[in-house]
Amino acid sequence: MLQSIVILILLSLCIGTGAWLFFIWTVKRGDFDDVEGPKYRMLDDEEATSEQAPPPQGENHDK
Amino acid sequence: MSAPDTCVHCALPIPPADLVIDTINGEQLHFCCRGCQGVYRIISGAGLQNFYRQREWVEQGVPVGVFDTKFEENLLDGHVTTHDESSAEISLIIEGIRCASCVWLLEKLLSKEPGIASIRVNYGTHRALVRFNPQQTSPARIFTSIARLGYLPHPFTAGIAQQAALREQRSLLIRFGTAAFLSMQLMGFSLALYGGYFHGIDAGIRQMIQYFAAAVATPVVFYSGWPFLTGAWRSLKNRAPSMDMLITLGVLSAYCYSIYALCTDGEVYFDTAAMIITLILLGRLFEGTARNRSTSGIDKLLRLAPDSANRIEQEQIYTVASASLIPGDLILVRPGELIPVDCRIQDGETELDESTVTGEPMPVLRKPGDPVSAGTLNLSASVKLRVERVAAESFVARMARIVEEAQNRKAPIQSLADKLATLFVPVVTLVAAGTWLFWLTRDVPHAEALLNAVAVLIVACPCALGLATPTAILVASGNAAARGILFRGGDILEMTARIDLVAFDKTGTLTLGKPTVAKVLPAPGQSEEGLLRLASRVESGSNHPIAKAIVARAKAAGIVIEAAESVETVPGRGARMVGKTGEILVGSRPFLADKGIEIPAVSSGVLTEVYVSLAGSWCGVLLIQDPLRREAGEAVSCLQQMGLQTVLLSGDRLATAAEVTTRLAISDVLAELSPADKAAWVIDQQHSGHRVLMVGDGINDTPALSSADVGCAMAGGTDIALETSDLVLTRPNLHRLYEAVFIARKTMLVIKQNLFWAFAYNLVTIPMAASGNLAPVWAAVAMASSSLLVVNNSLRLGRLIRRTFSVAKQPASN
Repeated sequence: MLQSIVILILLSLCIGTGAWLFFIWTVKRGDFDDVEGPKYRMLDDEEATSEQAPPPQGENHDK
Repeated sequence: MSAPDTCVHCALPIPPADLVIDTINGEQLHFCCRGCQGVYRIISGAGLQNFYRQREWVEQGVPVGVFDTKFEENLLDGHVTTHDESSAEISLIIEGIRCASCVWLLEKLLSKEPGIASIRVNYGTHRALVRFNPQQTSPARIFTSIARLGYLPHPFTAGIAQQAALREQRSLLIRFGTAAFLSMQLMGFSLALYGGYFHGIDAGIRQMIQYFAAAVATPVVFYSGWPFLTGAWRSLKNRAPSMDMLITLGVLSAYCYSIYALCTDGEVYFDTAAMIITLILLGRLFEGTARNRSTSGIDKLLRLAPDSANRIEQEQIYTVASASLIPGDLILVRPGELIPVDCRIQDGETELDESTVTGEPMPVLRKPGDPVSAGTLNLSASVKLRVERVAAESFVARMARIVEEAQNRKAPIQSLADKLATLFVPVVTLVAAGTWLFWLTRDVPHAEALLNAVAVLIVACPCALGLATPTAILVASGNAAARGILFRGGDILEMTARIDLVAFDKTGTLTLGKPTVAKVLPAPGQSEEGLLRLASRVESGSNHPIAKAIVARAKAAGIVIEAAESVETVPGRGARMVGKTGEILVGSRPFLADKGIEIPAVSSGVLTEVYVSLAGSWCGVLLIQDPLRREAGEAVSCLQQMGLQTVLLSGDRLATAAEVTTRLAISDVLAELSPADKAAWVIDQQHSGHRVLMVGDGINDTPALSSADVGCAMAGGTDIALETSDLVLTRPNLHRLYEAVFIARKTMLVIKQNLFWAFAYNLVTIPMAASGNLAPVWAAVAMASSSLLVVNNSLRLGRLIRRTFSVAKQPASN
């Protein structure tokens, strides 16, 4: 009983941590910097232009 | 819907020769081409005419002179970041972006240019990052490609402040995300513990779950809650109690108590600590997003003056950087170019668009010896100018400095919650200390006395307190945004509620900012139509606002305008054309009088008079006026009914401004003010205790907008005004200003109620905690119910706003 609870809790923590790391990665990548654009960009039905195009501001000047 | 001289479909000016008139659904409509007519027929045929009513075209037309703008390689090179031989990048701001299609067009067309690796345009900020191969293309070529599409690119290097703001926003998002994720885990553990409390739980399992709870709560308190901890430390050092301090007090005592309870087998309150932090971070996140765009206003202001100038040296013209000009230099400015620095006219006369300085749309004639300001636009003729001030001292730079100073001076508005905290923190600390002392005198163990004191601190910072302000602001700003009213942050909402003086700009704010023909007065024996036909024929080729007004009126009267032949324009006076029937003159009274034409006296009041003559005899006069907005009178009286004082601040002549004030019943008027005067007046009023809201649209209003407690700009105004303002009305309708104040006041009321309920919870629980009788269940129940009450009250605000304005909306909006 105790063991199964521990396993389940640890499992949920692991899955949660995975989602959390993914979230941090997306923030760092700048996916939340322009929250207006994507809803229009998805209507653009040609081939996607953004092969790894980073956001147009910030970070890039730091290096 | 649209002015008669613009196309119903595309809203661009119609060249007289191309005019297409069509009658659709019994309405006569003007189009600029068959294409637009066809599209209109398709759209209206599908029953979608609402498109024309709903679309909000904030800016109209393309920037002046954009298509033949020249870009200098050496001036742009400084903005390029080079990675290696074949890859470099440049950041730019693109002016003239109106909708998502513009972004699409720019990205699609530019990515097909040779040498451009990628381009990404930010929809919200209009900034773009271009990666290119410097061996195949150059910054100037990229800029020219963008300009050819009708957009004006400017090099842009993100300021330190902007990069810091971006990093701040990202770190806030990560802190909140972390807190939210961990709090969700914590919630599961707490639920198990609550269950155990009521139904019994194995002591071993309980302790294990408590350890897990401690493990997930610790990062929430010390990582996510870090901004609060440092904020509390700061206010402790300054001895100024703040909201941060109250939060920290509650969170830390709950956390430390729980750690203690963990060791002594008591009840833990980790969920309280984590929940307070998560909810308050959420509130801050909402407030932060609205504020993002405001910092770039100064950048745009400085860009008003062009980067390069044409210096004349020994009859040769050299293109030099504006910054290198020194007083005494001679420069050449061609029509369509902006004046780079403050100068005096040396040679030639021309008409200038000085709307940046005065806000007035009418061009002004400048002769040799007259001073001209940087940032104004040369309209009619090439002139030679003598430089008077260096670029860093010019009008535009001075104005940017006023704006910057005002923004720095502006102390952050102390929110109501913060003010209450200043009162509440000392009281809570005293009560806690009192509790501890009281229990010490009683015969109980030391530990229990301390525990009771800590319990007071824990319940003193209820979740409801964290929710009280953000939820109300969130609901209010969301509903306001749906009505086209954008508050840049919760503090602006609170400040708007406290406003007692509203200062209006005249042109473009109370008036439409677009001259129209108010009256057509033909001479005896002449017809109105004949007069318009003559005047419009001469003026049809001109870009002068008065000419456009006359042509528009003629078209509205159904006159088909004959093509003009060799029109001669005399800057500031009028235009002359020799037709088959004789010489036609259109212009000011002296312009006609000089040609020996006799004109009887005409009393027009403050309206601009345009006289017309044919073959030496006077034919009549047209009176031109900048009409008031239709809703202006109603909006002003609504504001006055709310107890607000109204003042008109105008750069125009006193007579014109006074006429507007009497028609709108505005209480006070100040005329002939420079941009700096307006700002000074606003600051003056603030010193005498007023809280001022300034409404303006022009570049000349920006110092006043940024000095005022709340600067309000309307869509249709210049970008710079929009960015230096705190409150933006996205629909050019003054009635929204009244709505904004109404919403702000109601929001403040709801915030007060919320704070009352949050503190009412304290009134009940603090005595219980102090007496050592607070059962954890009661604490939880009281906390949940007060939070629910607060959230519900905020939602009620949304319903109230929707109900109040949905009925009133229909007649006002179209």
